[in-house]
Amino acid sequence: MAAGSLKWFVAAGVAALLSACGGGTGGAPAAPTETALSAQASLGEQIFKDVSLSASDRQSCATCHSADTGHAGPNDLPAQFGGALLDQPGRRSSPSIRYLASNTAFHFDSEGTPTGGFFWDGRATSLQDQAGRPFLAANEMANPDLADVIAKLSRAAYAAQFREVFGADIFSRPDDAFARMTLALQQFQREDLRLRAFTSKYDEFLRGKASLSEQELRGLALFNRADKGNCAACHPSAKASDGSHPLFTDFSYDNLGVPRNPALAHNADPAVFDLGLCAREGGDMAARTDLCGAFKVPSLRNVALRKVFFHNGRFKTLKDTLTFYVQRDTNPEKWYPLNPDGSVNKFDDLPAAYKANVNTSEAPYNRGPGDVPALSDAEIDDVIAFLATLTDAVR
Amino acid sequence: MNRRLHLSTPLRRTALAASLLLAATCSHAQTATEAELARKLDQLAAELASVKAQLQQMQQQRAASPQVTQAAPAAPIAAAAPAPVATSRAEPATVLSSYGEIIYNRPTRHSEMAQADVRRFVLGFQHRFDAKTKLVTELEVEHAVTSSSDPGEVAIEQAYVEHQLAPTWAARAGLFLMPVGLLNENHEPTAFYGVERNFVETAIIPTTWREGGLQIVGSFDNGLTLQTGISTGFDLTKWDASASDGRESPLGSIHQELALAKARDLAVFGALNWRGIPGLQVGGSLFSGGASHGQAGASARVTLWDLHTRWTPGRWDLSALYSRGSISNTAALNAPLVGSATLIPQSFDGWYAQAAYKLWTHEDYVLSPFLRYEQFNTARSFADLGPGLTPGAGATERAVTLGANFQVSPGIVIKADLQNFRENKDANRVNLGLGWSF
Repeated sequence: MAAGSLKWFVAAGVAALLSACGGGTGGAPAAPTETALSAQASLGEQIFKDVSLSASDRQSCATCHSADTGHAGPNDLPAQFGGALLDQPGRRSSPSIRYLASNTAFHFDSEGTPTGGFFWDGRATSLQDQAGRPFLAANEMANPDLADVIAKLSRAAYAAQFREVFGADIFSRPDDAFARMTLALQQFQREDLRLRAFTSKYDEFLRGKASLSEQELRGLALFNRADKGNCAACHPSAKASDGSHPLFTDFSYDNLGVPRNPALAHNADPAVFDLGLCAREGGDMAARTDLCGAFKVPSLRNVALRKVFFHNGRFKTLKDTLTFYVQRDTNPEKWYPLNPDGSVNKFDDLPAAYKANVNTSEAPYNRGPGDVPALSDAEIDDVIAFLATLTDAVR
Repeated sequence: MNRRLHLSTPLRRTALAASLLLAATCSHAQTATEAELARKLDQLAAELASVKAQLQQMQQQRAASPQVTQAAPAAPIAAAAPAPVATSRAEPATVLSSYGEIIYNRPTRHSEMAQADVRRFVLGFQHRFDAKTKLVTELEVEHAVTSSSDPGEVAIEQAYVEHQLAPTWAARAGLFLMPVGLLNENHEPTAFYGVERNFVETAIIPTTWREGGLQIVGSFDNGLTLQTGISTGFDLTKWDASASDGRESPLGSIHQELALAKARDLAVFGALNWRGIPGLQVGGSLFSGGASHGQAGASARVTLWDLHTRWTPGRWDLSALYSRGSISNTAALNAPLVGSATLIPQSFDGWYAQAAYKLWTHEDYVLSPFLRYEQFNTARSFADLGPGLTPGAGATERAVTLGANFQVSPGIVIKADLQNFRENKDANRVNLGLGWSF
């Protein structure tokens, strides 16, 4: 009978379905697997470590972007020294160059928020663009010009490999060779697994393979809560719907009113201010004075390895940094110098005209003197315990 | 005959324009719902057409040769009888349908939030290929204007083929409405009381809920209708812990609408409705399917069930419904989201009771005042995440809606009502609406 056989068909279908669905092992994207670097990337790796490409003969990309600190500054100096004699002080701390493969060129998004770009002020449009600039910067690798860099490159141990990949006559065309060199560096940064490992305890936790301790979980909750740390507002901690793991930055910019760092050489002149986004090289943002004092939101991955924090290296410990976040406005006298009349010179690293640019509306910087800070001392320790889970496992 | 296989966009537009012209000449159309009655109507219409053809044949024969009496019917009639597709069709093969709602809301405490909206404009067509097979589709435009900077949305609400397997059994394949609750399959403005759809059937049951898959429909002579099948389900990786959508409607925020839907985990569903006594409907449904598709840190399942009844004695129209949804393994899914604004609830439910009365009728005019009381909680419980980390259960909202539907003509309704909330008093509002359906 048609009805009877139909019922059988439906029952069989349902049985097959129930055995097929459910009971998955939660196979979220695993850590990227090791594959050999491409020819370009392998050249890029050698160029990255080559100190002979600097005027001092002692500085390579790896010198200021050390793998031990998450490919950020190697020591607790606010800025590294460069130049031919390694005596020229830098102006800003060396940011971590990990997890930048998905960053875009600087642009304003659909809501008008400045987003993307490389360097603290977003002036480079790509990894390739950024890679080329330190070679010619007077307080970094300090090569006099592009031709000089290529001349040094042609004498490197891997020059033959470079010719093989880019052409036998490549060194006779210095502009092309420089473009290929920076391309190789970009390719290395995109392919090398240490620069996009996703092997931290938090990544394993997102994959369902590890669990956080009670303190780390409390720290994560304080990190996410809009009424406590509210860190996730600029440093997102949740997986995207396509399954990709969070980078802990939204690649946007913010002005936190970080206190002036007297340890930086250029700050000896009280008239000099590092204005970030609006004052960047090229002058394309000069008209946007509302963005003076804004700097890039860095990724918090491997933040526990870093030795200095913020663009001016003002703080050397996570404890000081997080305490500044929550006590900047409740106890300004702890962070800023006093004026002659006894009042606090808040946001002293900005000229008076731009102090209004500082973010005072988003938590946790929306409190006032005498208010209770958004995080207590113990809660800051909880957040630091959570931030420690963002350190990639060493391969 | 129907060669609409691979049309480019301009040709598709021309085809749509042509079918609209066809619709203008059609005086008769049917809605895509009430499958059981529609099927019986189809059968009756086809049989009538066949009888008419036979009569015409016999009249012609009697006119041509009066001495021939009740001779055996000629071959064409015998051929016509078993195949109810008559050459002289009483109705067209392609039928256009439509419904729409234009709505005005005015919060009583916040008149600055008043808004008016073409809430939905729906065009549907059904095409009958043969006596047993038809295609049912519905296209919806919400909020009038759709573009990257406008609030509107264009969506396919239904697109399925229905094939009659036997007199009692039919199969549907494609994108179809889920047989859940009282509103989901009958959601035209003329089918429910009140300007806005009730909260239980929007926040708990995510009307208009459609999935893609295969459905078997059994309609029995004792009044029982069975609907069961396999379909796509929800996607928990869409849960946005920083937005409030999940608090407004948990399943509404993770539905896929067969738009590049993740389909590793499929779902099973079943619904039973009994209409044995005229004027009484009692029924229920159950849906269950995985929703993590191997992409979340843990595998989780969404389950939703409902019980409903509707009784229309005399001038009264009484209905009641209870629905409850649950999601498994939410502790593991919520762990990376601790502290965020909206975590995934473990359970959510709601119920309502409604009474309407046909107070006044005059020719086609019908005035039906109604009262509806509903209670719902979109976050009835959360799985334990540890002390200080587990969110508290959401507050149970209570909504009372008092108003009236006024039918101007069958298929046109004007509605007005007042809504009052216990928790979110800022949402108290007056609503006006115009709806059509044909």
